[in-house]
Amino acid sequence: MKESLSLVQRLSAHPDSRCWFVSWSPNGTLLASCGGDKAVRIWGREGDSWICKNVLQDGHQRTVRKVAWSPCGNYLASASFDATTCIWKKKNDDFESLTVLEGHENEVKCVAWAPSGNLLATCSRDKSVWVWEVDEEDEYECVTVVNSHTQDVKHVVWHPNQELLASASYDNNICIYKEEDDDWECRATLHGHTSTVWSLCFDATGQRLASCSDDRTVKIWKEYPNESGQGDLSWKCVCTLSGFHGRTVYDIAWCRLTGALVTACGDDGVRVFKEDETASPDEPVFSLAAQVTKAHSQDVNCVAWNPKEAGLLASCSDDGEIAIWRFQEEN
Amino acid sequence: MGPISATKVFIHLLDVLEHGRGHVLVSSDLDDLFDSILLADERFRGEGFQEGFERGTRRGLQDGRRHGASHGAKLSSEISFYYGFAITWKCLLQHNTDLKSRKRVKALETLLGLIQNCPLDDPQSVNLQESTEKLRAKFRQVCSMLSVPTDFKDYIKTAEGTSF
Repeated sequence: MKESLSLVQRLSAHPDSRCWFVSWSPNGTLLASCGGDKAVRIWGREGDSWICKNVLQDGHQRTVRKVAWSPCGNYLASASFDATTCIWKKKNDDFESLTVLEGHENEVKCVAWAPSGNLLATCSRDKSVWVWEVDEEDEYECVTVVNSHTQDVKHVVWHPNQELLASASYDNNICIYKEEDDDWECRATLHGHTSTVWSLCFDATGQRLASCSDDRTVKIWKEYPNESGQGDLSWKCVCTLSGFHGRTVYDIAWCRLTGALVTACGDDGVRVFKEDETASPDEPVFSLAAQVTKAHSQDVNCVAWNPKEAGLLASCSDDGEIAIWRFQEEN
Repeated sequence: MGPISATKVFIHLLDVLEHGRGHVLVSSDLDDLFDSILLADERFRGEGFQEGFERGTRRGLQDGRRHGASHGAKLSSEISFYYGFAITWKCLLQHNTDLKSRKRVKALETLLGLIQNCPLDDPQSVNLQESTEKLRAKFRQVCSMLSVPTDFKDYIKTAEGTSF
């Protein structure tokens, strides 16, 4: 393979604990991580290496499962097993807790900001997805509670340029939501995976969605305009990547700069896939471009592409570590 | 009747036919006699089944009625709770003019609308399940808007047994 994935740095992020998630700030200069030690850590580059800039310790009573930056980069949301979502505001070089969103019956599994910055979505083991609205005074209000899944909802993600939301669940399905009369409703249910869908991500244009599952496959879904021209959406699975992952695929990320796909797997590996340029858009072909089979010493929980620096990638694991990688295409 | 005594009857009958003793038995009388003996088992079983079936039907009706009443009461009390809650909050907020109150009143009105449209009269309705779930989700959202913690364990228990 003429592509390679090389290690830049390894960080002992959440010692004696799991590191559950990593997220790059919108300008790519900061990396937020969260873990089983109930803390959120902010990492920044100093010279050639990444160091811990902040530790947000007292926001939650239990594991922090995911963190998400607002599109402007001034706010950070953290979702926790303690059933709350904390909103942090960045003030100079520090972060302070602005508000705590309550309401879910149990563990919050994910939080995501809409590209507009005015909406936030959370999902939980209580099977529901909540959509929150933010106003100019930094006040958060729940506008909808949707119960489209029959089991634990693992992940929610917003479309990059439309007001559309997608969720993934333990019930093996993906739901797509749109707003109708101030209320968010499930407009499409994507069936196909044969086990829990752990994560989702849209490509740069939002025309395609990638999902990864406990069934060890990655599926690519494409939106087709509905035949009858009605409001309901129609998404079809156009590609399935199987045979590459030895265990559950826990996370997937689609680079907005290069179009490369990266996966986080329960077999401790990190894999990068590239799309075949010559394939038909209705039948895309992805091939394995580079992999590190032992990226971590335990399950890899999350992978994230840096939004500004092409090829820069972060991963984190049950072993409590974060690894920074560079994906290069040698010419 | 055992095979030996049946045989005895048969021999007696043959004797009668041969030597003309006893009354003259016509073939249909013979059929009836055999039928009542050989089919006795089946007949009694049939009668027993019929009696049992009727009794079981009555019992089933009683049990079903009891079960339905219990389930109906739970669902109805849950929805009435939401109704009372929504009407009260609407009364409290409807005369406020600020934007926040107006948004809340709108949400409460949506909740009340969902309650009105819930097909409670028809337990077999295909929409009942979906309606009640939508209602519960809306109620949770309204509580969140009003900043009311959803700790109503002392007041209601939902029909599904899911706790608040």
